[in-house]
Amino acid sequence: MRPATRNRPGWAAALGIPLLLAAAGLLQQRIDARTRSEALEGQEVLITSGPLLKKLSLGYDSLLADIYWTRAVQYYGSRIGERTATFDSLAPLLNIATTLDPRLVVAYRFGAVFLSEPKPLGAGRNDLAVDLVKRGIRANPNEWRLYNDLGFLYYWRLKDYADASATYLAGSEIPQAPIFMKLMAARIAEKGGSIETSRLILSGLYESTKDPAVRKALLRQLRALKAEEDTQHLDQTLGVFRQRFGRDPDSIRELVTAGLLPGVPVDPLGFPYVIGRDGRSHLNPASPIKPPK
Amino acid sequence: MSAASAAVAINTFREAVRDRVLYNLVVFALLMIGAAVLVGQVSIGIDRLVIVNLGLSAISAIGLVMAVFIGVGLVYKEIEKRTLYSLLARPIRRSEFLVGKYAGLLLTLLVNTAFMTLALAAALYYVGRPFVASDVSILVAVYFILLELALVTALALFFSCFSSPMLSALLTLAMYVTGVFSSDIREFGALTHRPTIEFVARVLYYLVPNFHDFNQIGRAAHGDRLPLSLVGQNTAYAALYASVVLLAASAVFSRRNLK
Repeated sequence: MRPATRNRPGWAAALGIPLLLAAAGLLQQRIDARTRSEALEGQEVLITSGPLLKKLSLGYDSLLADIYWTRAVQYYGSRIGERTATFDSLAPLLNIATTLDPRLVVAYRFGAVFLSEPKPLGAGRNDLAVDLVKRGIRANPNEWRLYNDLGFLYYWRLKDYADASATYLAGSEIPQAPIFMKLMAARIAEKGGSIETSRLILSGLYESTKDPAVRKALLRQLRALKAEEDTQHLDQTLGVFRQRFGRDPDSIRELVTAGLLPGVPVDPLGFPYVIGRDGRSHLNPASPIKPPK
Repeated sequence: MSAASAAVAINTFREAVRDRVLYNLVVFALLMIGAAVLVGQVSIGIDRLVIVNLGLSAISAIGLVMAVFIGVGLVYKEIEKRTLYSLLARPIRRSEFLVGKYAGLLLTLLVNTAFMTLALAAALYYVGRPFVASDVSILVAVYFILLELALVTALALFFSCFSSPMLSALLTLAMYVTGVFSSDIREFGALTHRPTIEFVARVLYYLVPNFHDFNQIGRAAHGDRLPLSLVGQNTAYAALYASVVLLAASAVFSRRNLK
């Protein structure tokens, strides 16, 4: 046999394997395109029972919890911002992750953020978020951050200042809890709903988390709060203008000309505030900041 | 262990190395590198947790596969290649041969696990986390995995003394799964409220190996301190149970007609 003939299988493999693999990849793409359109909401969670999955995991439950938490993050990330998106599988994914590993504090904390954010930024389910964090507290009674999160949900989302104050107070009794938890409890009891209190709560949460995505969301809320505070001050100035001149100003700049403001005020992203048809100050329509709900 | 058993053990280890058994370390290393690089990008806040969970789970799963599939072939291969006859013609008892084979595979698993633990430590270092005192619990969890593997190896060796490798592997895996669910057997018995079934369930619970207590992966991942008493109890349990299984294996193998 000649050497060239002996090498024929080698050449065939060198050429054939990449070609056949590429063909298989292309075919898979076609199959994916067809099946993706057939994909239904809810398929993310085939087994909804956390205890059953814990048994089936054969002892690898903590790894499976990490996988389910990652799936929850991916699920949320793939839907965030889509106006028509639903988050039906988010709570089951979080429940499974936290049943498999009840000490997965990160899943309670950020899971509550995903669940409570209003649509389209989240599931808009404050009830489920509160349940999740309460379960987290039961499983991790010494984790003051969970009390901080629950207090925030009561305060910010549900406007339930009595429960918010009580939650901060309960969390403040944990030995490692920072002093601001006690301050929060007192301040909410005294001045629940004020912008100053809200800013303190958001700042406390911002300082207690390291995750960039959550910090970004909190920063967005802090900016919205600052804008709300600015517009309240501006409305007071508009009232002074009306008293002095007996009419509404045409623009914010007129307030500057009248000597009531040192310059045209801008929101935290640098967009100047405007006066609306209702005669009150508003965020600039071009500004990405959304007023707090 | 006798000198004859030690010689068999060293040869078993050499054979495993020659059979490229330790190549699985490459797979483990790639898994760790992949996890260390990717986890921060696909998830939130679990960098360290997932590295420890994945690392310890992989150490356990890879070790389990090795213990079962190498363990069931330890005796069978020697019979198949007819090397057992020349070996038993020398001044070595069958029980010494079995103990040597068992120790050889344990040595292989020990070396393999040690390298995987080093890779796990490297991955933890990569994700930028300084080592702390509570990391000792990771080493304790690895030790418990080794104890678990010692039990599984003994079971695999026992079954391989009287059945084919395929059947031995199935029986060993069945025993492992039963051992993981052993506490459920007792609970199911209690649920029936029938004294006879309850008694049988309790006897079964103590008969099957209990693998549940060896699994401390979750606690190690969360940085819990694993009590010294648990280390002592698990070590004693594994030693006792493995001794029982090896004695049974020796009894079966001694009576086996090898012609």
